[in-house]
Amino acid sequence: MLVFSRKRDEAIVIGDGIEVRVLRTGKDAVRIGVTAPADVLVHRREVYDAVRAANQSAAAAVPPLSELAGLLKLQPPLERVE
Amino acid sequence: MTTATTDPLEIDTFTGRVVVPPSDVIHMVQPMPGFEACRRYVLIAAPELAPFTCLHGVDAPHPVFVTVDPHRVDPDYQVTLGAAERRRLGLQEDEPLLWLAPVRMDETGATVNLRAPIVVHPGKMVALQILGSDSLYSTAHPLPGR
Repeated sequence: MLVFSRKRDEAIVIGDGIEVRVLRTGKDAVRIGVTAPADVLVHRREVYDAVRAANQSAAAAVPPLSELAGLLKLQPPLERVE
Repeated sequence: MTTATTDPLEIDTFTGRVVVPPSDVIHMVQPMPGFEACRRYVLIAAPELAPFTCLHGVDAPHPVFVTVDPHRVDPDYQVTLGAAERRRLGLQEDEPLLWLAPVRMDETGATVNLRAPIVVHPGKMVALQILGSDSLYSTAHPLPGR
């Protein structure tokens, strides 16, 4: 991991056109501004981790494929929304 | 190792082995968190599964997701795509999209991940899982009726 010391309003640049700037510092938090190309997705780490856990749990919980059709039939039909 | 894009794919599903033409393969423009190695999926829909569908990973480790349209679970469901997400999906205007919320099933019931739906652009056969930072929806919304 690269470690930088940055003051308020200072930034680092990553690759082509990604900038991470320190906007404000506080006791336990910093406010960060990210500038990135229009097709680059930026996420909070904890959101990514929560979705990863949910995905792994959902994929792991899929019953054996031979039983899937039967299990799904146990679900009552949802109200149809058109 | 890569498979030639013209070769049909053989995939084991609940209905047995199916042969899928390359034109039916959905490409994740960004891998789903937790399954970074799998970029290609096929969507299995069958009348006996409705309203659910199955998203099968073509690449190892071949994850399988049972999914449902989140709008069927919550009639007021609304998630807006950001500019970067629209761009990655190649959305021009308001082309119809397919919304797939992953379902988790176990002995006690089923929950739906309304927070991070998979959005498919059927016109381009590309997809992206939406990671809404400010989403009010749960990753484990109880499926009604069980």
